[in-house]
Amino acid sequence: MANDFTSYAWLVPLFPLLAFLVLIAAGRQLREAGAYISIVAMLASFVLALLIFFERLGHTTDYTWNQLKWLTIGDFQLNMGFEVTNLNALMLVIVTLVSLLVNIYSKGYMHGDERVNVFFSYIQLFSFAMLGLVISVNVLELYIFWELVGVCSFLLVGFWYFKPEARAAAKKAFIVTRVGDVGLFLGMLLLFWYMPGHSLDFSAIHNAFSQGKIDPSIATWIAILVFVGAMGKSGQFPLHTWLPDAMEGPTPISALIHAATMVAAGVYLVARTMDIFQASPDAMLVVAYVGGFTAIFAATIGTAQNDIKRVLAYSTVSQLGYMMMALGLGAATAGIFHLFTHAFFKALLFLGAGSVIHAVHTQDIREMGGLAGKMKITAWTFAIGALALSGIVPLSGFWSKDAILSAAFEHNQLLFWVGLIAAFFTAFYMARLFFLVFAGKPRSDAHAHESPAPFTFPLVVLAVLAVIAGFVFTPFNGWLGHWLGDHAEAETANWTVMILSTLAGLLGIGLGYVMYGKNSVSRDIVAGNAPWLYTLVYRKYYIDELYDVVFVRGLRLIGKAFELFDIYIVDGIVRLCSAAVVGIGRLGLRLQNGQVQTYGLATLLGLLILALALAGRRFFHLG
Amino acid sequence: MSITPYLTLAAILFCIGLYGALSKKNAIIVLLSIELMLNAVNLNLIAFAKYGPKPGLAGQIFSLFNITVAAAEVAVGIAILINLYRNRGTTDVTDMDTMKR
Amino acid sequence: MLDRLIGFLSSGENLVFFVFSLVAICGAIFMISLTRVVHMVMALALTFLSLGGIYITLGAEFVGWVQVLIYAGAITILMIFGIMMTRHRGEAETEPQRPWHNGLLLVGAIVLFGILFYVIQNATITPQSAPVDPKDNTLQIGQLLFNQYVIPFEIMSVLLTVAFIGAIVVAKREED
Repeated sequence: MANDFTSYAWLVPLFPLLAFLVLIAAGRQLREAGAYISIVAMLASFVLALLIFFERLGHTTDYTWNQLKWLTIGDFQLNMGFEVTNLNALMLVIVTLVSLLVNIYSKGYMHGDERVNVFFSYIQLFSFAMLGLVISVNVLELYIFWELVGVCSFLLVGFWYFKPEARAAAKKAFIVTRVGDVGLFLGMLLLFWYMPGHSLDFSAIHNAFSQGKIDPSIATWIAILVFVGAMGKSGQFPLHTWLPDAMEGPTPISALIHAATMVAAGVYLVARTMDIFQASPDAMLVVAYVGGFTAIFAATIGTAQNDIKRVLAYSTVSQLGYMMMALGLGAATAGIFHLFTHAFFKALLFLGAGSVIHAVHTQDIREMGGLAGKMKITAWTFAIGALALSGIVPLSGFWSKDAILSAAFEHNQLLFWVGLIAAFFTAFYMARLFFLVFAGKPRSDAHAHESPAPFTFPLVVLAVLAVIAGFVFTPFNGWLGHWLGDHAEAETANWTVMILSTLAGLLGIGLGYVMYGKNSVSRDIVAGNAPWLYTLVYRKYYIDELYDVVFVRGLRLIGKAFELFDIYIVDGIVRLCSAAVVGIGRLGLRLQNGQVQTYGLATLLGLLILALALAGRRFFHLG
Repeated sequence: MSITPYLTLAAILFCIGLYGALSKKNAIIVLLSIELMLNAVNLNLIAFAKYGPKPGLAGQIFSLFNITVAAAEVAVGIAILINLYRNRGTTDVTDMDTMKR
Repeated sequence: MLDRLIGFLSSGENLVFFVFSLVAICGAIFMISLTRVVHMVMALALTFLSLGGIYITLGAEFVGWVQVLIYAGAITILMIFGIMMTRHRGEAETEPQRPWHNGLLLVGAIVLFGILFYVIQNATITPQSAPVDPKDNTLQIGQLLFNQYVIPFEIMSVLLTVAFIGAIVVAKREED
């Protein structure tokens, strides 16, 4: 089959870049047109990505173009280019589709904001960076786009920079992910050092690691350092703290970050460098356990949050933990599959949450309620998203979660039970969220009404996808696994796992219903009987406080010391220099008094000094 | 008789002239002090013409030229001073600092 | 010390030099220390005259007489004219109060003299030939001026002309 469209894959990131350049150059003049430019550019990318995707169907060979000479050091030459594998093609579709829907949604959500075109230009840059990351041909190229993604998240989380919380969240997002980036960078250096021929290409990495050319201990180090980078971007424990704070950004950005771009980058990175991880069982184990712990850890936090977006943020952290767990268990297809389905239902949930926030102008779920009657489309689509996330048959979340859990069931029973409990908590907090927001009586007198078409259209599209996306990879239909070239995947239906996960989901929803829907069980049962537990969970296990004490205070103290050093020593020297110069200038000014006699005197003294110096030199030479 | 006393006398006169030129307030006295310094130089020239390494008349002729130049200098200097006095009403050199601004 | 001084003064030439140089230094110091401008000029005229005498003892009769004519005569008269033209009303000169300036200047002048004196005392200048004592100094100077030094002489005459014309132009009243 020909590579007619695949060879033009470099155009996919180029459309958003062009839109970004146009918007940043002529943003103020464009006004309303800015949104349409973005949507058209994204649509073009999406169509091309879709064409590439269909062209890749049935393909298994990768398409690589890396003829762009970028750096030559001695014998070593680094080429840039792009690569299209089946994984890349899938990611291109996910990213462009979610970005397109977010663009359409933002047209409505950001209406009236005076910096709306700046906002759209940032989104375009964000999409460009993520798409470039996806089709990168080597690790260095990926790292460049990786950092660009980080910068864009900083810009977008801090978009409402006049809010101090947004500023703090933007800085936190940037700094925490930077910790991970250092890990990735070190991993990249190690990789460069130990790879045969210092090649950083993914295909070369694949060959080197799958043929065991790299020492396993080195492979472990590289894998763990790369994983640290992925931890930072994908919000894995202990670098997860930035992700909930990033909710300070506009809601469409939350959807974009959580579904398609930023956090997907970490999972994608691990999936892309799976060969390194497979060369080191220890690293795989680390990935799996970090993922599993993050999944249950974030899920429990999610049950006690009152901010609608924060609940969803912790849910994302938890689901990313699932993906990492799957990757760590060697079930790469299951991880990517969950990323795929999660992109749809999480984007759906965030956009639905945005619609709710737009209607009631608050983010606190205790002040909402009874919105189902007033916002029918939002309520129904949100319900579909919540059910999909809870893993209810036959929605997409069920199949992807099932794939992960059955992999865990086979390889590691402990992680299976962890995943199952996390699934229970997931269902519980989603039920709590849904019943508090949409069921019951209104708890505030805000006049909510259904949001306009730019809101509801993406919701409906995503709801449909959230329902059907799961059928590409079920125990009865392993098409995705074949296509991604993962032959190790078990395709037999594991009824135990299916029943257990469904039970866990139903149990969670049921508990949520009796506590928050019917109020037959007091919702303060935990807070009343074990207040310490409630407080612990509500305060997110005091992780932020711990970081504050351990890192922030210490660093601030050091910074203070350096500041004092700067003020009194460095600045002192500088001020001394300037004072000396000013003093000399004053003296010069007094000498330059226009009096010829003073000039004559200065000349005389200068002559004398010269003569004495000369005489002194001779004098000391002689004796 | 050697050259040393003449040179010492010239040095004394030169230093007195220098002191006068740089300390006096009246521009005419400054001019006079400069004349004194020139005279010290002339004395040196003539002393060298007699007691120097190569005795001859060249030193005397040089001092003649020097005297001529000094006369010209005094003439122009006095003319400038008179013009300045006419325009600014003073011959005080400490007031002559308009070039500063 | 005193013996050497008496020995020094026993020669006629030395005695003449001593007297003249004493007068010249005194005149210069009076020029510095007197307060009235006209007196200063007169004191300096004395110095010029005694310098002319020293020139004559050095065998430069022509230069000596030129010194008397030009310095003691022309330049002194010119200075006095300048003083009259600039209306000093006979008041005493009030020196500006510049203690730093004058103090530094005094120290500088004395140090300069010290250096010069040190150099002069340590220099050994030995004539390669005996001092010439020409019979007719003026004739020889005239011959040299119109033969060997004729071009500088002519240039000097042009310079003098330019200077005097310039002086007239500068000093002339504008409305004339």
